[in-house]
Amino acid sequence: MTGRMSDRRLAWAFVAPALAVLALIAVFPLGWAIWESLHRHDLRMPWLGRPFVGLENYLDIAADARFWSALGHTVFFTAASVALEIGLGLVLALAMDRTFRGRGAVRAALLIPWALPTVVAALLWRFLFEPQAGIWFVRPAAAWVPVILADVWKTTPFVALLLLAGLQGIQRDLYESAAMDGAGAWMQFRRVTLPLLRPAILVALIFRTLDAFRVFDLIYVLTGGGPGTATEPVALYAFNTLFQNLRFGYGAALSVVVFLITFGLALIYIRLLRSQS
Amino acid sequence: MLRISGSAVGVEGEVLTRQVGRFMAANPGVQVETQRTPDDATQRHQLYVQWLNAQVGRPDVLQLDVVWTAEFAAAGWILPLDRFRPSTEDFFPASLEANRWQGRLFALPWFMDVGMLYWRTDLVPRAPVSLDELARFAPAGISDEVPYGIVWQGARYEGLVTVFLEVLGAFGGEILAEDGRVAVASPAGVRALELLRGQIGKIAPPEVLTWHEEETRFAFQNGNAVFLRNWPYAWPLLNEREKSKVAGRFAVALMPAAPGGRPSAALGGAQLAINAHSRRPELAWRLIAFLTAPDQMLERAQVAGQYPPRRSLWEDPRLAEALGVPLQDVRRILESATPRPVTPVYSELSETLQIHLHRALSGQAAPEEALRMAARQMEEILEAAELAQ
Repeated sequence: MTGRMSDRRLAWAFVAPALAVLALIAVFPLGWAIWESLHRHDLRMPWLGRPFVGLENYLDIAADARFWSALGHTVFFTAASVALEIGLGLVLALAMDRTFRGRGAVRAALLIPWALPTVVAALLWRFLFEPQAGIWFVRPAAAWVPVILADVWKTTPFVALLLLAGLQGIQRDLYESAAMDGAGAWMQFRRVTLPLLRPAILVALIFRTLDAFRVFDLIYVLTGGGPGTATEPVALYAFNTLFQNLRFGYGAALSVVVFLITFGLALIYIRLLRSQS
Repeated sequence: MLRISGSAVGVEGEVLTRQVGRFMAANPGVQVETQRTPDDATQRHQLYVQWLNAQVGRPDVLQLDVVWTAEFAAAGWILPLDRFRPSTEDFFPASLEANRWQGRLFALPWFMDVGMLYWRTDLVPRAPVSLDELARFAPAGISDEVPYGIVWQGARYEGLVTVFLEVLGAFGGEILAEDGRVAVASPAGVRALELLRGQIGKIAPPEVLTWHEEETRFAFQNGNAVFLRNWPYAWPLLNEREKSKVAGRFAVALMPAAPGGRPSAALGGAQLAINAHSRRPELAWRLIAFLTAPDQMLERAQVAGQYPPRRSLWEDPRLAEALGVPLQDVRRILESATPRPVTPVYSELSETLQIHLHRALSGQAAPEEALRMAARQMEEILEAAELAQ
């Protein structure tokens, strides 16, 4: 009995450092952000003090038209870019799955956009569209084109490589037996490839959705959220509130909302993944 | 030891180092250190707010953007200067007005920026004296070689507010009324915004909605525009013969007004203030008085081309020689300098206004609706700050 207790204690002692690190890097900042979000704290208006206001910031967010439109932009950007990335990534993965001369070189080349820092990629696309800035950056609908194009260009390779790994995990004899049963290429793709690729697709979806939902630097550089606020995502709104207007309480509340949404999405995906396996 | 912070790079740094050196020579035993801060206004502002919030006594002397004085004063971060009895008669009134909060002076103007209308002397018969004339001259100067009638800063940033402020003033409107109430959603406001919007795609390229100062300067410098709205810094650059196609073929004028309005030139520039937690406020004041004395201002104009806010210097032939601008033309612009709203929440008001101006200019909202929404949100900001009237 005592032996088992000390075993348990030992186990806790072993995981304690990891837990402490986790608490320090994840729980503490999050807790601090949540605590801050319950205050009215405007760095530029010290005469207002830093009163505790409960959920007032969150109620304000619920009534904040700029927040809702930013959320709409975020959802739109996520849906459009992730759909394109998964579709194109799948095509690229299928192409690279075949053996052909120079396959290694193609795979390496594919990684270049992914290896570029987002800010650099965004600047590159900004320069590409600059000559027609009067078309692409001043009309709300058009401004999404460079944004989504740049994101798809940059992250499709990542999706493609993830899916390629999934494809290579599919046993070849499955295709052979499908062929023997008279399944054509399309049938093989639908009945063999797709079902077996689902876990990989799901993983790609998780990474991409969560990343896309927190999009910041790409849009910050490309459109600055404009024209007006027509391409402003929630993360950029939170950034402007925090670091431009120095409204810490409200900005923290906005960040917490972004966190809650991505956390919720992550939970849904994890459940989906579990039901897969 | 005393520390001063602000722009300390290039020629600005050169002239500051030289002057601080002279100050130390004249005040034995006094050490002054120059602290570099980011040149980007937003970044510098952020840094200052962090320092001042932490109640750090350094830097003792702060170089402030003209729209920060009220904010820092209301927060109690900078000292009122009355107790040092500064002599202010010589300064352009607008430059002082921008540095007063609740009737007290909190910073002393150091150099002055104003919005000016650059015009091509080879394409336009004379400086337009009315908005109507500007509207006639601009398209008349357009040709295959000169595609744009006018270029201005239309990106969604502070510059857009200064552009709007000038046209708004030209129609007799203002952003905040004298009593502090939001006044932007007025008939004058709508006319001003309609005028700017009407220029886009006709005499101004749609690209202006993404342009800051430099893009507009390049367009004018390459000979592509009849008129340019910009700050004084563009003058020497546009006159560089190797780089500019319009060297010697342009002049500056005051942005003209409509009947019933007043010609307005947005006021910018730098001021010096004393950190409220400085341990040497007296000494800090002596440094400010030294740096803002006529001799130092003249030297600054000679080395860095920055406009002195002292009126007497604008009578001085040495200034004409230093700046290379027709003194009387520029002086007229400086006399019409119009501060942006003097309020502690200026940057938030400005951000709101920028968004709605940009929405209207990019066709997402009608000017009237955009201004109404801007006004409502600006009122909310004033109310939340407990500054509403």
